[in-house]
Amino acid sequence: MLDIDRLTLRYPDWVGDYSLRVPEGALAALRGPSGGGKTTLLNAVAGFATPVSGRLTFRGQDLLPLPPAARPLSILFQEHNLFPHLTAAENVGLGLDPRLRLSTAQRAEAAAALDAVGLGGLGPRRPGELSGGQRQRVALARILVRRRPLWLLDEPFGALDPGLRCEMIGLVDAMRREQRATVVMSIHTPEEVAGVADMTVTIESGRVRTD
Amino acid sequence: MARGAALTIAPPAGHRRVLPWPGLLALAVVVAVLGTAAAGLVAAAGHGASLPRLDYVFGLLRFTAFQAALSTVLSLLAGALVALALARRTRFPGRPLLTAVLNLAIVLPSIVVVLGIVAVFGRAGWLAEALRALGLGPRSWLYGLPGILIAHVFFNAPLVARILGAALASVPADEWRLARHLGLPPAAVFRLIDLPVLARELPGAAALVFLLCFTSFAAVLALGGGPGTATLEVAVYEALRFEADFGRAAVLAAIQIGVTGVLAALALGAGRRAATTLPSGVAAVRPDAESATLRWLDRTVLLAAVLFLGSPVLAVLGKGLPELASLARPAVGEALRASLVVAIPAGLLASLGGLGLSLLTRTLDSAGRHGAARLVRTGTLGALAVPPIALSAGLFVALRPVADPFALGPAAIIAVNALMTLPFAMRLVEPAVLRAGARYGRLAESLGVTGLARLRLVEAPLVAQPLGVAFAIAAAFSLGDLGAAAFFGTGGFVTLPVLLYQRLGAYRTDEAAAVALLLATLVLALFALAALATRRHREAG
Repeated sequence: MLDIDRLTLRYPDWVGDYSLRVPEGALAALRGPSGGGKTTLLNAVAGFATPVSGRLTFRGQDLLPLPPAARPLSILFQEHNLFPHLTAAENVGLGLDPRLRLSTAQRAEAAAALDAVGLGGLGPRRPGELSGGQRQRVALARILVRRRPLWLLDEPFGALDPGLRCEMIGLVDAMRREQRATVVMSIHTPEEVAGVADMTVTIESGRVRTD
Repeated sequence: MARGAALTIAPPAGHRRVLPWPGLLALAVVVAVLGTAAAGLVAAAGHGASLPRLDYVFGLLRFTAFQAALSTVLSLLAGALVALALARRTRFPGRPLLTAVLNLAIVLPSIVVVLGIVAVFGRAGWLAEALRALGLGPRSWLYGLPGILIAHVFFNAPLVARILGAALASVPADEWRLARHLGLPPAAVFRLIDLPVLARELPGAAALVFLLCFTSFAAVLALGGGPGTATLEVAVYEALRFEADFGRAAVLAAIQIGVTGVLAALALGAGRRAATTLPSGVAAVRPDAESATLRWLDRTVLLAAVLFLGSPVLAVLGKGLPELASLARPAVGEALRASLVVAIPAGLLASLGGLGLSLLTRTLDSAGRHGAARLVRTGTLGALAVPPIALSAGLFVALRPVADPFALGPAAIIAVNALMTLPFAMRLVEPAVLRAGARYGRLAESLGVTGLARLRLVEAPLVAQPLGVAFAIAAAFSLGDLGAAAFFGTGGFVTLPVLLYQRLGAYRTDEAAAVALLLATLVLALFALAALATRRHREAG
């Protein structure tokens, strides 16, 4: 279970105070107006924003002292999820070794992950040669190979057209069921995740409102 | 809101574990070089054996400031006239040629330009011959204040034209449409639209040009013509090179560093306001383009500019091309080698130092230590305020007790040039480093890409192109440098600009022109390479 308990972030003109529990293996959707604090919450869980008080645990482990890469999670940003100068396969490979010194077995694993997200054979392409949807698929393949139990997705498909967005959310749903991952995902409209989300909460003015 | 707040408090936090040591190393080298020079100046001035007389110092200061002020006024006038004429004459047939010559004037090594000016305005120059053909006896008038002013206007009027041109181009097209709609006469267009734009840019441009002319070395050394027209920079050089008067050199250098420091702070302050506009890139139709009077004025201005800027360049070509065979002499080969020995390491040091310092400022910024980051940035810019001759003088007197300064010449020339070009390198590299961090810092940190792997996988590929541009520009400036090279260069280590100066001094103008052609070709090739890389970088996104 992901347990966020009175996690407080303070900025000169803004305060976030979050409490939220996401059961093991659930997909939680975050909705709410832009500027309401969805991204700030995900950044705090990922370790990119430092809370002034509160608790943050996953499976009973305190995440707050851990640097971002040591937290048992993978994050997908709204954009810039891939390094533009590395190939798709290399971008996935970074999930296996951050120094990108890959064994033959690891290369095969990266290729298999690209297959799994429907990008078989596109490994040698660079992000500039891929469509927006394909780029996010590469980032999803990297999440697959990292095998972390918690996934944070920050409006990952907001830039895609509705049909494609639906397809991608279906892919995420299949992936998380296979890896039994816990997922927290911010969205535009509840319709996107109808039948997929186990719970939907609204985030407004830095607070969580359970529907 | 939330996102904006997060950015101002802790800009993308993904740089906590980018190695700070390259930046710290660069900083240590900068501080060591500056510290050595300062210690040398203080020690030498402390000896006080032959402190310069006060009226001598005042005389120097007065002439230095006088020629700089006069050069600035002339450069601003000429630059403004050209910028306005270019803004009004969007379809002037000589426009591409003039733009090319303007760019050329900014990047050509000063000693090459000095040679061209001698070839046009000198005793045996084109102008003298033309006057003689008209039956007017030529008199020697170039050396002294006229030569200095011609050279300074040549260097700086194009710079002013570029700054003011960019500002004029930033006037929104809507304003021009409104002016045409209201039928504003040319005088009103100038008073209501052009003048406010120019007035906003002029203080910054004036401070910059004054600073450049105040510390100008090559033009004053080669065209000054005597003690009556010496500037501080040249006086420091002569005190050390010809009279071995360390105390006097140290005091003069210290005075100069003090004055330029204040000027640079003023230029920086004035420049900050000026740099807020962006050119729209759209050539708007101006209502005053139709005025017949202005058409004649503009054509005269543009023609004069092409002639004034183009003739020295043509003169170098005309004198140098027939003498290209003289480049086969061993002295030229040695000078070429010496120039590359200086320019390549100086370019590498400046560009890599700029990269290291940029990583350092970014790390400091993301750790919330904005004050420290600003200190590093301002300190680097401050290198612009240290005149190369004063810096060289400091190094010279500091090294003298421990080693033969001439034996360390190449290293000292490299150090001075790397330091002088560091601010340019940092200005080119830092935006790319910041962009790489803002876009990919969190991604790298979330994946655990840290340390050397991060430098190799993230920063190196993303910053490679601006880094290459910084190298090319720093190397090009170092190739053309006459200051430190003249100071530390001796019979054994003569760079191309020094060889050029020696031949000019020996009245072997034709051979000097051949060397000038070689030097200009190298420098222009580097700048062309940098421009090409910049364009490709921009196209790549």
